[in-house]
Amino acid sequence: MDNLGIDVLFKGTNFIRLLQGLWVSVEISIVSVVISIILGLVVGALMTLEKMWLKVILKIYLEIVRIMPQMVLLFIVYFGTTRVFGWDVSAESAAIFVFSFWGIAEMGDLVRGSIKSIPKIQFESAFALGMDKKQTYFYIILPQTIRRLIPLSINLITRMIKTTSLVMMIGIVEVLKVAQQIIEANRKTSPNAAFGVFAVVFLLYFIVCWPISRLAVYLEKRWA
Amino acid sequence: MDIDILKEYIPLYKEALILTLKIGWQGIFLSLILGLIGAAILHFKVPVLKTITGIYIEIFRNTPLLVQLFFIYFALPKVGIQITAETCGVLGLGLLGGAYMIETFRSGLESIPTIQTESALSLGMTNGQTFYHVILPQAVSVSVPGLLANVIFLLKETSVFSTISLMDLMFTAKDLIGMYAKTIECLFLLVVFYLIMLLPVSLLGAIIERRARYGQFGD
Amino acid sequence: MKNTFVKRLTSGLLVTGLLAASLTGCGGASDKAAGDDTTAQAAGSNAGYRTLDEIKESGTINIGVFSDKSPFGYVDENGEYAGYDVYFAERIGEDLGVDINYVSTEAANRIEYLQTGKVDIILANFTVTEERAQEVDFALPYMNVALGVVSPDDAVVESLDDLGADDEVIVISGTTAETYLTKNYPDIKLQKYDAYAEAKTAFENGNGVAWANDNTEVIAFAIENEGYTVGIPSLGDQDTIAPAVTKGNETLLTWLNDEIKTLGGEQFFHADYEETLLDTYGADYEDELVVEQ
Repeated sequence: MDNLGIDVLFKGTNFIRLLQGLWVSVEISIVSVVISIILGLVVGALMTLEKMWLKVILKIYLEIVRIMPQMVLLFIVYFGTTRVFGWDVSAESAAIFVFSFWGIAEMGDLVRGSIKSIPKIQFESAFALGMDKKQTYFYIILPQTIRRLIPLSINLITRMIKTTSLVMMIGIVEVLKVAQQIIEANRKTSPNAAFGVFAVVFLLYFIVCWPISRLAVYLEKRWA
Repeated sequence: MDIDILKEYIPLYKEALILTLKIGWQGIFLSLILGLIGAAILHFKVPVLKTITGIYIEIFRNTPLLVQLFFIYFALPKVGIQITAETCGVLGLGLLGGAYMIETFRSGLESIPTIQTESALSLGMTNGQTFYHVILPQAVSVSVPGLLANVIFLLKETSVFSTISLMDLMFTAKDLIGMYAKTIECLFLLVVFYLIMLLPVSLLGAIIERRARYGQFGD
Repeated sequence: MKNTFVKRLTSGLLVTGLLAASLTGCGGASDKAAGDDTTAQAAGSNAGYRTLDEIKESGTINIGVFSDKSPFGYVDENGEYAGYDVYFAERIGEDLGVDINYVSTEAANRIEYLQTGKVDIILANFTVTEERAQEVDFALPYMNVALGVVSPDDAVVESLDDLGADDEVIVISGTTAETYLTKNYPDIKLQKYDAYAEAKTAFENGNGVAWANDNTEVIAFAIENEGYTVGIPSLGDQDTIAPAVTKGNETLLTWLNDEIKTLGGEQFFHADYEETLLDTYGADYEDELVVEQ
């Protein structure tokens, strides 16, 4: 009890490596969120179209994302695709792929929801003003949708950052793996390092995610 | 794909499914209780407890389950708090889920118009009676789609249990791949078993949500 | 950082674009079809490997090592890979004239990494077994190993038959200890972990009555940590540890074998031992552990 093992973080470059590990997680999340927002807008717009076959496909897509744990998807993409198609996917691409696959579905569904929530009269007014369908979408519907979506997509960022803790399982050295390495390298000199190091990792995740989710709440209240 | 291998592995996956469900449902039960208590605290704005609940929600919603489990299972014993892997799984899932359930129940509570409380009070019901007999039943039924979404989310989260040595579906697959390298068969069964576990819940959610929407139209 | 960020973003967009195309093109069903009969044939032929020339040409070799298994493969406090396996890996890189890209593996992923071509060589304390030899190609061995069981001083496990019905033995998923116990002692309850760091921490925390693993590893643990005894120093067959390459990668395998023979001439692995393992084991184990060709 005399030593909770926080001191190991100040040895060598340990703490900096921990932060670098965290950056890996954040980077994967941000890239995935950007992709999710861009393609999610497209998929969301597709979801509002009245085409039977499109609806069925998108429904299946959504259901897969809803039911399969991200970890399963990570394994399938990272190991499965190489087995089946012979693709050589790097662990980071696999992670970005899976997170985007998930994020696009979520964003798509949110986009669909917000497009649907825009009163019909706005479409009608726009048409009455002589705008065509494209113009209506681009100038009237999209700007409003995006505004509603921003808080929701910020929320998605925190969820993704949290989920990146899984990428350790496909060999990406992120903050948790660095934590394990530090604990292992210092087992002899500070056997309690597990407490200090995991406590710090816990705190680091919180420090990153909390402000972002507060921002989302704030924007949601302001723009609602 | 080798059918014989599938047949050989299915019992192992069944075992894993049972374990996943066992821990999953216990965790979900705990999260429902925490959710109800927390939502009531926030609803009635109970001093002090309100702040504690708020802090609890922020902590557990802003950290990954994996890190929470690491902390509970590997770090706490270093300061003398020792629990088994199963308890840790239930506790981790329950605490994480509770933070989400509170929000779901609370938005359910908020959706009940204040006039109902006022009417109930004017009929001579006490505060407790009003909450128990009037508000709560409605709030819970409004929350059902949200709750089912949480249930799916929590059952999916069990996939990180491998780190605390629980043989859930994901770990069974990883373990078999590690021993016998039959990747395709293992991943195939993994997908099938997750479908078996979660598709019914997801479909139920879809049906209830549609019903709830019809209910709203009837208003 | 910015550069890699943009690069990742564009590559990510491309990949996801492909995904979107496949989704609208051939339907969401393609995902599920991944389990069907087309895969059976693909499973037989591996995703491929890089020949010796291809590795040299690219200038980088991917070597899978442990990053949490001290003193064989771990990351030191300055973020550098180190240990007995890594010392050897460094030499391989030097003699091939290429840079090394270390890939951090878990025990259960080692075969998978080779079969999917994600690493060129596994140098992660990989015990040679018959089952594994069907999946990957082993080069000549560079270390001896058997299984061992370590337990706390106050309740030393000296025979696996002594274990009670509720006693759980810690193993690491994908190791020979796991396979051996599963096969020979099916009644013993195993508590499995993904990673070395997790298993050791759990063992320290008293989550299991004993920890079964390579005897090299459990001996090191008992020496480095007070209060533990290796009650069963040798269990099962005497095995060896060797580098492994993807099945069929003849050119790389031949080169590795020649390299190991050459290194034997200069007693390289003794030097390796003295550099990386002496602190842990002392000189007593040197001839027992090290294999030179």
